[in-house]
Amino acid sequence: MKLPAVLPDAPPSNVSGRTTSITLFTTQKWWGRFFMPFMFATSRAFPKALAAMDGLSFISFASWSLIRELPYNGPPQQVRRLRFAHLFFEVSFNGSWTQYIDSSVRVLTTGMYSFWSSSRSFPGPLPAAPFQAFFKDHEVDTSHYYCAYPEATVTTVRSALALEERLDMFAHRAENIPAAAFDAAWQAFLEHAQVHL
Amino acid sequence: MRSPNIAGGTYSLMIWTPIRPGAEDALRAHLEGLDRRSSPLATLPRTHMARWLIVPDMPVPPRTHLRDPLGNQYLLFTSNFDGDVDSYLHELVELMGEAAAIWSHCIGCPRPAEGAALKAYLHRNQVDSGFAFAAYGNASVAQIKTALDKRARLIDLVVRAQEMAPAERRTAFLKQFGSA
Repeated sequence: MKLPAVLPDAPPSNVSGRTTSITLFTTQKWWGRFFMPFMFATSRAFPKALAAMDGLSFISFASWSLIRELPYNGPPQQVRRLRFAHLFFEVSFNGSWTQYIDSSVRVLTTGMYSFWSSSRSFPGPLPAAPFQAFFKDHEVDTSHYYCAYPEATVTTVRSALALEERLDMFAHRAENIPAAAFDAAWQAFLEHAQVHL
Repeated sequence: MRSPNIAGGTYSLMIWTPIRPGAEDALRAHLEGLDRRSSPLATLPRTHMARWLIVPDMPVPPRTHLRDPLGNQYLLFTSNFDGDVDSYLHELVELMGEAAAIWSHCIGCPRPAEGAALKAYLHRNQVDSGFAFAAYGNASVAQIKTALDKRARLIDLVVRAQEMAPAERRTAFLKQFGSA
């Protein structure tokens, strides 16, 4: 799924070039404390279950974690035992904030239930508007966000990686192709490579 | 089963450090004032994506009274990078001069905020991920940048080559990509 460049619907500090970040914390229901570690373990054991997420082609990195306690560094840090477990979620993606939510809920509907149903106030993924409000209510803005290749989309990076192998092979071969035969080889190469350009 | 912090060839790092009471605004201003086009994080060449944010408290679900005070505001640093965490933290404290200026706002940060002591502090405040996703498999930052550069150069050549004679095309291609 190809998306246009980022539209300005996220604070500038959450954006780096064409990449946008979201960081979210949600309070867990009592059973989330047990269910989410099970979900994480299952997802790690069977990563193919996330093929749909891979297929979205606009998410570059994401991670989830269950926060139950934070490291203690001595005073004046206050000693707190959290009443609830909190789900931490961060994602980097191309496109606008609204596009991300809308596309995710439509493609990953089942997955959304798996990862968010243990969160309090989760309205369900569809319709999208209440789910957008759920994200807004639990989002914390980034103060500084960095991306090493800010102008590249996920599709561009994947295309570039796929193209490089073909290009290197053709370049290696091209040195031995006689000048008279080069044009035909060049056209054949482009025919195969154009999908990545 | 793979580590919860690893996805493909990348490591998903998360570090929570409590901010000294009264230093929250200064730290926020410092982070927000960092040059976004020339980020200090660019000095860590293995970093794909990274962020700093200040967590004042856990968001409260709307229409509930489920406050869960953290007691302090926290600096949260997350990064997706190539390789192992030990060498990355070493690079972070040695190569990124900004590290001292940032984490010196936090409780428990060693003084001076540098070297092995700062690295140990950051390590001690790491919180494991539960599950991480990376779209590029084992591709490193360097590999991605090289591939993007080659793609851009090829696109440029394809456009220019339309105006070239056949012999010129071969020369131009080998000049760009010969012995690649």
